[in-house]
Amino acid sequence: MPSKSPSPMAFTKPAQSPSIFKKRSASALSSLPASAASYLSALSQADARARSANNNSPTSTPALSLSSSITSSSEDTILHEDDYMNDPVLGSNKDGLLLPSRPPTSEQVFSTVHTEFGHCASEEYRMTSQHPPGKPLAVHVPKDPPYYILLSTYISYLILIVLGHVRDFVGKRLNPGSYKHLMPRDGYAPLNSDFDSFYTRRLKTRMDECFSQPVTGVAGRTILLLDRISPDYNHSYVFTGSRTRALNISSYNYLGFAQARGGCADAVEESIRRYGISTLGSRLEAGNSDLHVVSEALVAKFVGMEDALISSMGFATNSTFIPALVSKGCLVISDEFNHASIRFGVRISGANVRMFKHNDMKSLESLLREVISQGQPKTHRPWKKILVIVEGLYSMEGTLVNLPAIVELKKKYKFYLFVDEAHSIGALGPHGRGVADYFGINPRAIDILMGTFTKSFGAAGGYIAGNKALIDRLRVYGHSGPYAEAMTPPVLTQVIASMASIMGLKPSGAAGSGSTSEQLLVPRGSVPPAQALDDEYHHPGPAPASSLPAWISLPAALSSGAEGRTRLRRLAFNARYLHHGLRKLGFITYGHPTSPIVPLLIFNPGKMNMFHRLMKERQTPIIVVVVAYPATPLVTSRVRFCVSAAHTKEDVDTVLRACDEIGDVLDLKHGIPKRERWSIEEVVRRAVELGTSEEE
Amino acid sequence: MNTTSTTLAPLFTFLEYSLTTAQTTFDKLPGSAVVLRYVKSSHQNDPGRTLLELILFLFAIRTLLQSRTRADRNGKHFIQFSDKEIDELVDEWTPEPLETPLTPDEASDLAAVPVIVGPNGPKPKLASTGKTATNLASFNFAGLAGNEHIKQRAIETLRKYGLGSCGPPGFYGTLDVHMDLEHDIADFLGTEAAILYSQGFSTISSVIPAFCKRGDIIVADRAVNFAIQKGIQISRSTVRWYNHNDLNSLEEVLNNIDKERKKRRGPLTRRFIITEGIFQKDGAMVDLPKLIELKYKYKYRLILDESYSFGVVGRTGRGLTELYNVPASKVDMLLGSCAIGLASCGGFCAGSQIVVDHQRINGPSFVFSASMPALLAVGASEGINIMRNTPSIFEALQENVRAARAILDRIDCITIPSHPASPVIHIYVRPQPAAGGLLSASVSTSSHVSASVHHVTFPSAKEAMKQAEYEAEERLLQEVVEDCLAQGVIVTRAKRLKGQEISEARPSIRLALTAALTKKETEKAVGVLKSALVKVLSKRR
Repeated sequence: MPSKSPSPMAFTKPAQSPSIFKKRSASALSSLPASAASYLSALSQADARARSANNNSPTSTPALSLSSSITSSSEDTILHEDDYMNDPVLGSNKDGLLLPSRPPTSEQVFSTVHTEFGHCASEEYRMTSQHPPGKPLAVHVPKDPPYYILLSTYISYLILIVLGHVRDFVGKRLNPGSYKHLMPRDGYAPLNSDFDSFYTRRLKTRMDECFSQPVTGVAGRTILLLDRISPDYNHSYVFTGSRTRALNISSYNYLGFAQARGGCADAVEESIRRYGISTLGSRLEAGNSDLHVVSEALVAKFVGMEDALISSMGFATNSTFIPALVSKGCLVISDEFNHASIRFGVRISGANVRMFKHNDMKSLESLLREVISQGQPKTHRPWKKILVIVEGLYSMEGTLVNLPAIVELKKKYKFYLFVDEAHSIGALGPHGRGVADYFGINPRAIDILMGTFTKSFGAAGGYIAGNKALIDRLRVYGHSGPYAEAMTPPVLTQVIASMASIMGLKPSGAAGSGSTSEQLLVPRGSVPPAQALDDEYHHPGPAPASSLPAWISLPAALSSGAEGRTRLRRLAFNARYLHHGLRKLGFITYGHPTSPIVPLLIFNPGKMNMFHRLMKERQTPIIVVVVAYPATPLVTSRVRFCVSAAHTKEDVDTVLRACDEIGDVLDLKHGIPKRERWSIEEVVRRAVELGTSEEE
Repeated sequence: MNTTSTTLAPLFTFLEYSLTTAQTTFDKLPGSAVVLRYVKSSHQNDPGRTLLELILFLFAIRTLLQSRTRADRNGKHFIQFSDKEIDELVDEWTPEPLETPLTPDEASDLAAVPVIVGPNGPKPKLASTGKTATNLASFNFAGLAGNEHIKQRAIETLRKYGLGSCGPPGFYGTLDVHMDLEHDIADFLGTEAAILYSQGFSTISSVIPAFCKRGDIIVADRAVNFAIQKGIQISRSTVRWYNHNDLNSLEEVLNNIDKERKKRRGPLTRRFIITEGIFQKDGAMVDLPKLIELKYKYKYRLILDESYSFGVVGRTGRGLTELYNVPASKVDMLLGSCAIGLASCGGFCAGSQIVVDHQRINGPSFVFSASMPALLAVGASEGINIMRNTPSIFEALQENVRAARAILDRIDCITIPSHPASPVIHIYVRPQPAAGGLLSASVSTSSHVSASVHHVTFPSAKEAMKQAEYEAEERLLQEVVEDCLAQGVIVTRAKRLKGQEISEARPSIRLALTAALTKKETEKAVGVLKSALVKVLSKRR
């Protein structure tokens, strides 16, 4: 085991320490099953395959490292050490989530646990996330529901509000005790007045069962819910002690890196053994570790910027670095749907703020013309700087920023551009490099790229990237540098390992050899980047293996980048399939089909609760996120699906089937006329067509 | 009957005439036909829609008239430009560069930040020298860093939960281990409940705006840490400052507010006292029993930031409440940091159930941020367990504090503003006699500063001199730090955000003692610091 003493081998090239995953990676090279059980199972399946008539030469997934390959139920019980396997309900495949619907062939060796990362070997179900070059981004027009839906929605809210006020009025007289905390008492003003908390008490409480559901285990393809009931109309909850496994189409696990097993988790385990769980301080005050240096260099390379800075919390990345970018006398132009953290950061920066209509380039341009010509309010002095802040992928709308148009505007109006890639990094683009990669735009055409590791990388925290002088300034002047705790080693390791497996590693020495050149160049040029830059966007190739700490040894599938590419392609397929599938079924969805966030419009507040519960109480439980006012405009309540690379095509089928049934019950299909709709069977049959359709 | 119709006939003709005139004028209006056709056809398809649209139309007119966002376009400061003029103005405008490069001093400071290779702890290895050094700078008060049991539990958690939670607490990001940690914290401190944030630094800047709104009153210590300053700023409440750690000054301010309120007969607003347990800026400690007394006397709620005292002082590390033997339930919102006190990550706010539940909906960095990784939550829970069961940790820590203070207090060329029991020790350069008077006079005396003021300017010559002096002190202290690093002792200057704080703090060296070092090791390391201080500071004469 690694010793407790400070590691002598972090910077110097070490002799590999005997760790558990060294054994695994060694066995991965020899491509032999890890245990007798899996070996036997593989044998029996090869046998079964040989005997089965339909033999359409299954394409195996790119060599995945093996470890615990879960292939059959008997073996599952043996290899899956998780305690819930002894549970009569969870241990059985009653919900259809435990085992893949098609048993794998002997050639398909899956390194992942099916419940965490679904087994899907069919190369058909793949797609590349890339914007067709030269084509402008279609303007996203939200579909409107019929008027009776709007009317009934308004009436629902009206009834809720009236009822709430009546209850308050009566309640205050009959049961003053329960209003005590909302009333002034003993000379203290209430922490929350009855008026301020009206929405929470009278509207949100009614559907509290949809929110803050506690869970356990990995937030992967499936998740374990801790079952709870409310004995008092959602005021408190009691845990029943049982657990339910549900298909997880809600976590921001876009690339499926939320895993308790596999190369990344092995690397994290090693990092805990070597580094412990904290670096004990802020970056500028003795909490600065070599892992920070390594991962910042890797992030900079990944996003294609000169330098990057890592922060231990995604929210804080915006709220503590934006104030170091702009100050009084500067103007921030912000999309109306920007995230709360951006608003928080802008507010404490002291800069002026103007908003433009969501993703509306005309609105942005006319605003720019106005503010530049008018200058600062009252004094009419020119603005010191104008910073336009947009998100790459909007988390409630699923819309993509019209980056090509903004980059064009930037040339004319000389503003600085800040793109928050919290959701898009890793999830979009043929190389997972976010929205710039998706549109084939040189990232250097953007001034500041910000993103988080919470989503696609299965980690936590965020980064901000830009040129070196800017990042150095943020290190010193950003609020996080001197005061906030630095990111912890396990999180850093997850970032390094997952990012490296998306990029792929090239062995040091053989840099730029022919085998990896196919992904070095992606010549596209729909939009020429800034003048100083090349016309062609050269994508950063795989990272040199030497850029990782020597003790991280990723399995071959990860380090070659093969699995990373598969994940990207699976995610792109799943996103398009779900999006187009829902549309063909007749639902109103928002957003771009390539976005892993798929909002399905529900409108009526009462239906949200119903939708949530109907999905959860199916034979195969599905958990969904429902969002309503104030996170969305009042009428457009929605359910938000977040697809993942961990989902198989069959999982998306399951979701579509569930939506189809529930959509009929709740009258949600208002997107297209009945005669144009497809039946669910047709949607499932033509999945490949839907999932690879370029249509926007 | 006939007569009535004849008498009314002129009226009818008049009506008919006026209607036709109205119609012809309407028809003459440009676009009227379109409107008419539209109304007709929509009415034909769906009569209800006409009514709805009429209502919507009226509503839209009302909204437009009320609109505040468009006001500045019509306001008296708006200048009408032609398109050509705007184009010229756009061409003319040159923005300032996005970034100003660091000054050479700042750049060299940044380059001098030590990089630790491998695990951090009492004796980490430095990248610059490749040698191990004694660490007097990192926050490892209870010596939990590198604890094998915590590591083991973290690995077990990793194998069950993976790393990230991939979601905010509201949307399937609440894990059972988070609830366990919240329960552990509440139980450890003796409060009803606690809520977990995923970063210690962001905790208080989110807790303050969750409770304090426009019109509420905040009374805060003048030297509160930066996170509190930002929380106060974003809350938009009315702020009154009292002199640093001076409870008499606090009482005076409270008294004044009370008088003013009585005079104005204003409505009852929420009132808060915000201060720190052990101050991040200088290690001073607040007199908690007195503070609690004042809070009850004037009916204020207390927001106490124990980031630098939870897991740091007290018999078992419960912080100030344990040290002063005050029930934690008397502090309305008690904040602490799991990153500083428990060598893990994140922060918490403990208090009554109502206080905690309120934040679950209103705390911005709770609602809008992913929950913290499971293994870090478990690491923090284990940290609490260890502290609870091993009081000897804090005895050893206090012994180290006493040993260090015994050495430091005898050095002439420095002053120490920190409390004798505080393991966070700040070291100031003792001002030379000539400069002494200047410094003490420069403390600002005004007692209200608006929350929106955050960029401190230095108007007077005195202020400029003070700044020059501070810069000189900084350079001296940096020299001491580098001298210590060269001799294998890690210390650090207290890093600040120059120009962004409410009041510029004096430059200092900040020590953070740890129970993981023995008394001998601590004495030896502090001895190195002492000789470096003496060597560098004697040079300046």
